[in-house]
Amino acid sequence: MSVETASFAVSWPGEQSTGTRALDQDQRLNRFLAEVERRALRIAEIGVRDRDEALDLVQDAMIKLASKYADRSSEEWAPLFYRILQNGVRDWHRRQAVRNRVMVWFGRARTDAEDYDPVASAPDPMGRTPDEELSTSQSMDSLASAVHALPARQREAFMLRTFEGLDVAGTAVAMGCSEGSVKTHYSRAIHSLRATLEET
Amino acid sequence: MKSSDEKFVDEAKALFDESVERLDAATLSTLNRNRHAALERARGARLQWLRWAPATGIAAVVIVAVMLALPGNGVDTIPSATSDVDILLGEESIEMLEDLEFYVWLDMQEDDVG
Repeated sequence: MSVETASFAVSWPGEQSTGTRALDQDQRLNRFLAEVERRALRIAEIGVRDRDEALDLVQDAMIKLASKYADRSSEEWAPLFYRILQNGVRDWHRRQAVRNRVMVWFGRARTDAEDYDPVASAPDPMGRTPDEELSTSQSMDSLASAVHALPARQREAFMLRTFEGLDVAGTAVAMGCSEGSVKTHYSRAIHSLRATLEET
Repeated sequence: MKSSDEKFVDEAKALFDESVERLDAATLSTLNRNRHAALERARGARLQWLRWAPATGIAAVVIVAVMLALPGNGVDTIPSATSDVDILLGEESIEMLEDLEFYVWLDMQEDDVG
């Protein structure tokens, strides 16, 4: 009898069903991640304004979700996944702040002026309203810049509610705060964004 | 939420969805590759833990067996509550209980002699 046959012969039915369950779970997790990965990437990209960094952050979030929360019900995955991702984005900003301080020490700080995109930030020459502005093909860049400029908690609330479509409860789990705070941050984000886009 | 805010949110959502649809093939391919790598890594981490589970179980069983097998393992025997009731309901004189220390001492003396 070969080694493979022998090991199969002594496996218990319970083990096989556990293996099948794990396989099903992996497949469901794979489907879930495939469903959210593109939106997650764009959300992370708006948060850090760098695609490669955003790709890394999304992959880290995937690894953490699959390692720690794969056995949770699939309804919990979206808020948990975005909580991990938002934490990753926050950590990334902290690291950047430290790096910038170190670079200031060496006289090589990266300033906001270097990140400033004059085309994206230029006022609309046609004098359109915010709603009209959003309807043009270029407006995603303006929107992304405006969203990026929001305070972190408002940005998270806006992206999770509007872009990812999480409900208030799910957003509260993802942000690690109360539902009341989510409503406040979201409302302030909308007013702030409308005001910003009206100015440009 | 005001209707103007709702319209703004709807349009922002539409713009975002459109930008998601416009992601280039190279990025989509990287995402796909990263997802499979992430799942594989997580699966490997889970299996790594499971690989140690039988050894940990056996070690725990051996430790418990050794502790049980050792004589006088330091665990004090708690006297049964029923023994107290037996004493109280017994027909022996209650005075004997008052001189309990004496009887204990006497018992020890007899042990020493024996």
